[in-house]
Amino acid sequence: MAYATTAGHGEHDDHHPTGWRRWIYSTNHKDIGTMYIILSLVAALIGGVMSWMIRLELAEPGIQFFDNTQFYNVLVTAHGFLMVFFVVMPAMIGGFGNWFVPLMIGAPDMAFPRMNNISFWLTAAGLTLLVSSAFVGEGPGTGWTVYPPLSSIAYHPGAAVDFGILALHLAGAGSILGAINLIVTVFNMRAPGMTLHRMPLFVWAILVTAFLLLLALPVLAGALTMLLTDRNFGTSFYAVSGGGDPLLWQHLFWFFGHPEVYIIILPAFGIISQIISTFSKKPVFGYLGMAYAMCAIGFVGFIVWAHHMYTSGIGTNARAYFTVATMIIAVPTGIKIFSWLATMWGGSIDFKAPMMFALGFLWLFVIGGVTGVVLANAGIDFVMHDTYYVVAHFHYVMAIAAIFAMFGAYYYWIGKMSGRQYSERLAQIQFWIFFIGVNVLFFPQHFLGLGGMPRRIPDYPDAFAGWNMVSSVGAAITMVGTLMFYYIIWHTFRYGKTAEANPWGEGATTLEWTVPSPAPFHTHEELPVIGAGDHGHGPLHGGVQPAE
Amino acid sequence: MATHTTKSHPFHMVDPSPWPIVATIAAFTIATGGIWFMHGGPPWILIAGFAVLIVSFFGWWRDVVNEAQSGHNHTSVVQHGLRVGVLLFIASEVMFFFAFFWAYFNASVPLINSAAHTTWPPEGITPFHAWGLPFLNTLILLTSGATVTVAHHAVRLNDREKMVFWIGATAVLGFLFLGLQAFEYHHAAFGLTGGIYPSTFFLATGFHGFHVFVGAAFLTVCFFRARAGHFTPNQHVGFEAAAWYWHFVDVVWLFLFVCIYWWGSAGYHGPAGH
Amino acid sequence: MLKKLLALALVAAAAVVSGAGQLRAEPANGEPTPWAINLQPAFSPVMEKVHDFHNLLLVIIISVTVLVLAILAYVMVRFNAKRNPVPSRTSHNTLLEVVWTAVPIMILVVIAIPSLRLLFFSAKPENPEMTLKVTGHQWYWTYTYPDQEDMTFDSIPIAADQLKPGQPRLLAVDNPVVLPVDTTVQVLVTADDVIHDWAVPSLGLKKDATPGRINETWVRIEKPGTYYGMCSELCGVNHYFMPIQIEALSKEDYQAWVKQAKEQFAAKDGPATSLARADRAD
Ligand code: HEA
Ligand code: HEA
Ligand code: CUA
Ligand SMILES: [Cu+2]
Repeated sequence: MAYATTAGHGEHDDHHPTGWRRWIYSTNHKDIGTMYIILSLVAALIGGVMSWMIRLELAEPGIQFFDNTQFYNVLVTAHGFLMVFFVVMPAMIGGFGNWFVPLMIGAPDMAFPRMNNISFWLTAAGLTLLVSSAFVGEGPGTGWTVYPPLSSIAYHPGAAVDFGILALHLAGAGSILGAINLIVTVFNMRAPGMTLHRMPLFVWAILVTAFLLLLALPVLAGALTMLLTDRNFGTSFYAVSGGGDPLLWQHLFWFFGHPEVYIIILPAFGIISQIISTFSKKPVFGYLGMAYAMCAIGFVGFIVWAHHMYTSGIGTNARAYFTVATMIIAVPTGIKIFSWLATMWGGSIDFKAPMMFALGFLWLFVIGGVTGVVLANAGIDFVMHDTYYVVAHFHYVMAIAAIFAMFGAYYYWIGKMSGRQYSERLAQIQFWIFFIGVNVLFFPQHFLGLGGMPRRIPDYPDAFAGWNMVSSVGAAITMVGTLMFYYIIWHTFRYGKTAEANPWGEGATTLEWTVPSPAPFHTHEELPVIGAGDHGHGPLHGGVQPAE
Repeated sequence: MATHTTKSHPFHMVDPSPWPIVATIAAFTIATGGIWFMHGGPPWILIAGFAVLIVSFFGWWRDVVNEAQSGHNHTSVVQHGLRVGVLLFIASEVMFFFAFFWAYFNASVPLINSAAHTTWPPEGITPFHAWGLPFLNTLILLTSGATVTVAHHAVRLNDREKMVFWIGATAVLGFLFLGLQAFEYHHAAFGLTGGIYPSTFFLATGFHGFHVFVGAAFLTVCFFRARAGHFTPNQHVGFEAAAWYWHFVDVVWLFLFVCIYWWGSAGYHGPAGH
Repeated sequence: MLKKLLALALVAAAAVVSGAGQLRAEPANGEPTPWAINLQPAFSPVMEKVHDFHNLLLVIIISVTVLVLAILAYVMVRFNAKRNPVPSRTSHNTLLEVVWTAVPIMILVVIAIPSLRLLFFSAKPENPEMTLKVTGHQWYWTYTYPDQEDMTFDSIPIAADQLKPGQPRLLAVDNPVVLPVDTTVQVLVTADDVIHDWAVPSLGLKKDATPGRINETWVRIEKPGTYYGMCSELCGVNHYFMPIQIEALSKEDYQAWVKQAKEQFAAKDGPATSLARADRAD
């Protein structure tokens, strides 16, 4: 998609592979990034349609459409998996990470271009398996948390759960390889003068995220392997009858699962930092604090997992520890929020679409974050646990805040990626539709949760009808906003104005804005040299000189 | 790109390659074939998947070796990147084993898990005697750790004959270990389906054994590469990766030996396990 | 944006001040109410403390949110490109950075102290006077009274077309579990197939029913009445239809019920489980 029109100028993009081989055999970080973004867009449509089916069923009390309630559970499961593993992760890490980490650090490509390619294809294979899983047999009706014994062979005898397990194995392997690639790229391929402390915060965010992926995903792989052998080869890891323990799965899953939620939000933090700095025309406030806050979040993220298990019967002292440890994360996160505000303070803010999404992100993330602090308390979480309060919490932080960061990133970088600029007017409209939609969609779910409505139910007591209807109306608005986004993509490629190398002006100081738009097939073939200047976001203020 | 004869940076721009997609097709085939097989289907698809996988590994690494031998792709900067990559990969492998050790301690240490077994091994399980065959295997792996280090010195000194010999010796010790472990499995007093003890035992030691196999195969490749003169004092990343991987396999075994074989059979005072 | 925020804060604040559900608490009826925006009313000491703590948390999280959004709004108005064409270049202020690290820490300490107190209070009863054993099945609950010669019965959900007037859909069961008021009850929760979760919001009860484990919780019901809850862990196709109904009686009425119940559930021979299943059939 990226080079359809204006590519072909300049000495940089001389011969590059053409035809299908260019994509299938690709060893180019931009092409691979583009494929990741397309994959994410496809998965978002599937996961979105599933979520709208869920909201349609829940619009009114009673079973509307899913006489087979197993299918409802399958939809919830597939929706969660798709959105987490095949929409947000591929777009943020594989898509924008691939595209812009090399560009921002002045590297000509990723460290291991061939491995980069297999990371993508494994993700695609995982997506195929995951979507198939919903349609084999009776599907995996386990929730995305796949707790045994419900996910064991006795209660899910078909092949669906095995499809799900292997989908995650393949996508997980792809992500681990991708993480190695990103870390080595950042450690080994920074342009002269681009010290760690001068890297843009997006690169920092991806670096920390890659470490989380590297250390958390193998634990999931181990847990899934045990589930697979329990199901098919008669082992007893999670089977009480053989002396195993269902809680083992929960520990392992959440030991991965909690870092996973930061895997989703940290790249979003990075994107938001770039956007806010650019459109405030100011360097990021408290650069080092921002970078190390992400490291702290990543680290603490590994020692709080059991806050998802407060009602599972773990000991009281353990719950006390996890309460305190979990709340600590609010501190580095607060540093980030306030530093963003301080970045805007004194700035000269342009409310372009990416900035609107960044501001929307702040709103959504703070609301979702503070309800996380409520849930952190084991002494009160048991009232909200497994209710829509949790659903509201994680859609605010994960679903919509992260999706807002992705929309922001798309509008921010599409000119650089495609050479075409989006329509500002359409994007602003899409922002407002989506912003109103998601708040109407998810805010009432707090009320439902406090009132006691459990998650993962296709039908609910009549008292919950009111807010559920409101929520479903919100989903309908969101659907309009989503479809409009796809229209805007089409519109950009069809009618978009040619993008300049730097469409954002003085605020956009990172290296990707020094190369032409669209970024040629090969960039930074001559390494830029970064002088001492403003920290991080503004390395260029010290001036980029061409290599001698 | 092949078209760039002169480039102004030290990095390796890799040509487009069919291997990633071929390997992915193989992985996909293994996954679907495996599911079919586990649910009563024939094994052929699974086997075909593995065959394609081996072909793609072979092709992929052949390309890497050729690039390394070309003389200009693997600059010292690229070599550094490769080394960091290997270390990161090993870190992720450590976390994979972490999951199995967690399963083991979750089942056996009441301090960690209030529902853990109070006697370990659980009743009815006759564990192996740690100081028999497992200890012999420990010695073998420790020795192989030493031989691979000797080989490393030889590589640094560019002593081809010595490096070939010691790499070969390490690989042989690795296969010897595998043989003994197969013997041990064969004489186990418990089967895979016999509950949580065999589950943790076989999966933890089994995955370790698989890693020994991978490491030994890797060393075997290094053996032939050493004979072909691929390793020089300042370019031998492939060997270094194999050596590091081997040390990692070694250390995992030490943990397995101490935790599962030794401590895990401490409650048991019967005759030797085999 | 600011207006919306203010409206929101007002609604939430109103909820705190009025104690929302409490007003509707007249006949002790622990069930969800239409358009409710806060917790169900409290009928047990644990749930009362949960209410208090939640009110504290609401004040804190609303203040934090309002603070952030107020700064955001101010910045948007004051520092937009029109009003402030020349951006400053400030990117450090040590004092500020210390403040916004230290203040959240202090807030968290303020949260943590009552939080941990509530946690330890809710964890274990002081002197339980009786025990109730709860077992989850796909998809009904079995209740056992160890103090009453292990009297056991099943509690089967009532299908929508068989509800009597006043029985809420998806919440009512044929044999509710009966408990005396003003009595500290130790509750032991387990399951015999997959994981379920025994939850009654208005009594502050929620505990996973996990096969192979017996989890403990407790309740002391303060008012006679009916309390509803739903299974709160995904347990398969009928997860949505696995309600919990507690009937709380005065101590005397409870004794009378025990007498009658022992006869009712013992009169039929064979394990109670299969009987209750048969009950459902007719
Ligand atoms: C992107 C994803 C994401 C993010 C960022 C978070 C962030 C946080 N989450 Fe969330 N969470 C999820 C995704 C996420 N979560 C998901 C998916 C689930 C459910 C999984 C499932 O069961 O299916 C979940 C569930 C979940 C639970 C379990 C609930 C239950 O099932 O019972 C808990 C409990 O502790 C929790 C806590 C937190 C906390 C404390 C944070 C913190 O990181 C938030 C920190 C942010 C702020 C606090 C706001 C900004 C800070 C300030 C302005 C400073 C001042 C603030 C104060 C002093 C309060 N989360
Ligand atoms: C990132 C994750 C994510 C996202 C985006 C969403 C989006 C949505 N979700 Fe959610 N959801 C989950 C993660 C997510 N969800 C998870 C983990 C669960 C728990 C599953 C379980 O219980 O097991 C869940 C569960 C869940 C439930 C609870 C079901 C139940 O418990 O019974 C509901 C109910 O309303 C719901 C609704 C919605 C709706 C209406 C949307 C959407 O309509 C909102 C609209 C958004 C989109 C359609 C995506 C737009 C994105 C793009 C267009 C991509 C752009 C790409 C680039 C810029 C490159 N979801
Ligand atoms: Cu039982 Cu859900
Ligand atoms: Cu978490």
